[in-house]
Amino acid sequence: MPLLIVIVILAIIAFYVIAVYNSLQTLKTQIVASIQEIGNQLKRQASLIPNLEAAVKGYLKHEKGIFEMLTAARTSAQKASASGESKDIEKAISNLQSVIPQIQVLVESNPELKSNESVNNFMRELGDTADKLMYARRSLIDLSQAYNEKLVVFPSNIIANMFGFKPEKGLDTALTGEHVSVSEAETKDVKVNL
Amino acid sequence: MTHYDLVASNQRKSWFILAAFLAFIVGVVYVMSVAFDFGPDFTLFAVVFTAITSIGSYWWSDKIVLAISGARPATREEFFDFYTVTENLCMSQRMKMPKLYVIDDTAMNAFATGRDPDHAAVCATTGLLARLNRAEIEGVVAHELSHVKNYDIRLATVVSVLVGSVALLSDWMLRMTAWGGRRRNRDGEGQIGMILFLVGIVLAILSPIIATLIQLAISRRREYLADASGVAITKNPQGLIRALQKISHDTEPLEAANKATAHLYISDPLKNIHGGVGLFANLFATHPPVTERIKALESL
Repeated sequence: MPLLIVIVILAIIAFYVIAVYNSLQTLKTQIVASIQEIGNQLKRQASLIPNLEAAVKGYLKHEKGIFEMLTAARTSAQKASASGESKDIEKAISNLQSVIPQIQVLVESNPELKSNESVNNFMRELGDTADKLMYARRSLIDLSQAYNEKLVVFPSNIIANMFGFKPEKGLDTALTGEHVSVSEAETKDVKVNL
Repeated sequence: MTHYDLVASNQRKSWFILAAFLAFIVGVVYVMSVAFDFGPDFTLFAVVFTAITSIGSYWWSDKIVLAISGARPATREEFFDFYTVTENLCMSQRMKMPKLYVIDDTAMNAFATGRDPDHAAVCATTGLLARLNRAEIEGVVAHELSHVKNYDIRLATVVSVLVGSVALLSDWMLRMTAWGGRRRNRDGEGQIGMILFLVGIVLAILSPIIATLIQLAISRRREYLADASGVAITKNPQGLIRALQKISHDTEPLEAANKATAHLYISDPLKNIHGGVGLFANLFATHPPVTERIKALESL
């Protein structure tokens, strides 16, 4: 009878170890897939922009600056999707995000453009593309967090160490630096002149 | 509080209510089986009977609800925000995108249905899609997708089968008692047997109501959980908060909804126009009060 209990306990432990090991391996493959998804969305952005540009070329022909920004957004997206480097991805995303408000200002100030269907579609698609990139990155962040959590939480950390699992870096964002700190200038009161 | 904490807290409370529900069902069936002297085969029959009558509605839940609601498919061209928001959220959750539908009605509401994430459907009214901006639609869709991801339809089906089984057993026992008198005829059991029998009668009358109340409590807790899970996906509580505020100010009841489908919607579509007062209204509500939902989200 005691032998049976010991065997049952050992079996339960064995099943737990297998379950944790499998979930860690599964998360690793999902993280790789999510990084590829970011590359996928960057490719989509890179190929979308020329199509949309063609659709609105007639209306934006006076705005050389905008076309240069769009070209920069497209080339940085192509570069990032080829290299897969974090900093290239960040550059591609910031290029896209800086061109959107510029075009918005232009469209808002020009009534003819504002009422134009293809320009509106262009704006919506561009905004949606930025969203898709954001969600692709969020997927990577969430998966890395779930994986890293298992590596440090008890008792799965024992099993993770046993099989030599290393932490995943996810999106390479520095944990220190100006984006997570408040500069002295920002702590001062803002003077408003009415 | 972080969204992680809110989700975990709601999951804990949900498990607690479910455990209490199961304990209640098991307890009631046991006491009735002793009081009315029926065996486990009788109970099994009740469960199987109820399950069979529910299996159709569970398996084809998406088709049935959509048919009786008069919904039509939503295309990307016509409903760009609704479509792309759902597409993006599913991509971030690595979930299969559900089929999208709209109901042509100015009332603002939305629901999700389907037995699992592979057979899911999300439906919104044209009134809701017209009056909410993109971030608010995102909050609502994230809430609905959370219902799908948390298998709430499946849970609701299992719970309703159990409630139905208890109601069926109670009904049979009361009928058999009314028609044929007591089935037990043992000697020397007199006093205790009589008391037990009376307890059985009281339980048979009350247990369907109590089971329904617990079922509604489960439904409300899952609504809180869907709110929290939705915000965990979008990381933007304000989207859902503003959507709930706008939806709650809309007093128009949704014609396409009825008592059978009311619990599926993001906010009570019947607007509790014929509802009761105070405590009773809250106990019998399928959804928690909007003010409470917003309060929970604002704590994030």
